[in-house]
Amino acid sequence: MPSLTLLGQSLVSGLFIGGLYGLLGLGLGLSWGLLRLINLSHFALVLLGAYLTYQLAGTAGMNPFLTPLLIVPGFFLLGVVLQWAFDFFRVNEFSSLLVTFGITVVIESVIQWVWTADFRRLETPYATLSVRAGPLFLPVTEMVMLLVATALSLLTWAWLRFTWVGKGMRASVEDPDIAAAFGVSPRRLALLLSGVGAAYAGVAGTFVALVYTLAPSQIYGWIGVVFAVVILGGLGNPLGPLVAGIGIGISESLTMAVAEPSWAPLVSFTLLILVLVLRPDRI
Amino acid sequence: MLEADGLHVGYGDAPALWDISLTVGDGELVAVVGPNGAGKTTLINAIARLLPIRRGRLRLDGVDVTRATPQEVCQRGVAIIPEGRRLFGGMTVEENLEIGCYRRAARRARSESLDRVYAVFPILRERHRQLAGSLSGGQQQMLAIGRALMARPRLLLVDEPSLGLAPAVVDQVFEVVQAIHRDGVSILLIEQNAAKALEIAGRAYVLEGGRVVSEGRPGELLTQSHIREAYLGGGA
Ligand SMILES: Nc1ncnc2c1ncn2[C@@H]1O[C@H](COP(=O)(O)OP(=O)(O)OP(=O)(O)O)[C@@H](O)[C@H]1O
Ligand SMILES: [Mg+2]
Repeated sequence: MPSLTLLGQSLVSGLFIGGLYGLLGLGLGLSWGLLRLINLSHFALVLLGAYLTYQLAGTAGMNPFLTPLLIVPGFFLLGVVLQWAFDFFRVNEFSSLLVTFGITVVIESVIQWVWTADFRRLETPYATLSVRAGPLFLPVTEMVMLLVATALSLLTWAWLRFTWVGKGMRASVEDPDIAAAFGVSPRRLALLLSGVGAAYAGVAGTFVALVYTLAPSQIYGWIGVVFAVVILGGLGNPLGPLVAGIGIGISESLTMAVAEPSWAPLVSFTLLILVLVLRPDRI
Repeated sequence: MLEADGLHVGYGDAPALWDISLTVGDGELVAVVGPNGAGKTTLINAIARLLPIRRGRLRLDGVDVTRATPQEVCQRGVAIIPEGRRLFGGMTVEENLEIGCYRRAARRARSESLDRVYAVFPILRERHRQLAGSLSGGQQQMLAIGRALMARPRLLLVDEPSLGLAPAVVDQVFEVVQAIHRDGVSILLIEQNAAKALEIAGRAYVLEGGRVVSEGRPGELLTQSHIREAYLGGGA
């Protein structure tokens, strides 16, 4: 049995990683739930954002926390263009998996071509910065990551709940024809939503660069756990992924502490399979 | 207000409407009656531009809208009370009403329109935070009417508002439709309950098998025996 401090520390790191899972799931879940597109390229955009952060902060010497100022607008545009193309080629829920897998492979090749397949590590003073809380260490970067994930989830929730655009979006998910008959333009809203999702991928990418060592193949490592997060959290629900992400993050890190680190991925898949069996209506 | 001229509409390869010509004048209440599957809903949905028009012309205030989008038709002041109500069941009563005034011109009048709708249907004010899906059938129909009123329409397309409702509620629905008409809104009313529809309409069309088989004032139509038999239950 590990010590209480170790368990506490695992809990903390699970909580923070859960924030990242939530952030990754937020973007994926929005387009899945509201646009009915399973956008695998979301993961590629996250990694692209991470490499861009690496480039801007590591090589060009920018403060890494400021890189989203450049990345977010660019990614927003990229998201808009992607959605425009999906719409133009009439991509649906099933073909979206194939199409976005293709885009993912292309982005992975671009990353590999520009930055090679070698591991890259962004060295920043923030990496080792942490706050002491009793016997526990709270890493500052990861704390900020959780805060940003929470803030974006809440903002997205409020956006969908209270704004005209948000209400129009929810209405056109339920009945696109009738929403259109009252003046809602599902296509325009889809462009906006896709832009926002891509911007979130950019933000997540910055944190990935701050927390992890980068390699192009890492894209595929996220897919399983983030799918679990999105499905557990409920498609199109902006707060669900964060809650599910934290739940999975904590379960994983406790499993690593109590049992074997290699068992951690089992946790999210076990949860996912349980949900799919018990609540198949969630997709 | 509305002029349809030789409309052909279909689903995929299957035609559903042939050569439909119909007009709704400013401030007119026009009924379209006809049996199940005659194409009444198809007609309304084509006018709302939810279905493609194969041939013919559709004009609103003289402007050609044959190829317009639903949003454009909406901006020109057309609102729909669709068959089966088609509320946004996962949204609240008030949010459904707000979608009604989504179009620019109606948005500004949001709170005024809300007050007006709540005055007509006080039950909607009571339930304004409830999910639309949790309302009873009658209340859902009121919400569908309210949603369309929020758009401040000049032409209202109404598709079988009495479907599946208790008789008392049906009467209330027809009274509200008449009240809307008295306020100067042009109405195209589709009903299987032909007796009721012909009572309040100024003019009517009879649709059968995707074609207009008869048109005129309700009084004239009722003198045609086959229409009486088909829609009003025998020769009574
Ligand atoms: N979505 C659809 N796809 C294919 N055919 C359809 C579709 N909707 C209706 N139809 C066909 O078009 C014809 C007209 O149907 P429509 O729903 O317009 O009739 P209606 O007069 O509104 O009938 P009801 O009184 O039952 O509402 C019918 O033959 C119907 O089978
Ligand atoms: Mg019908």
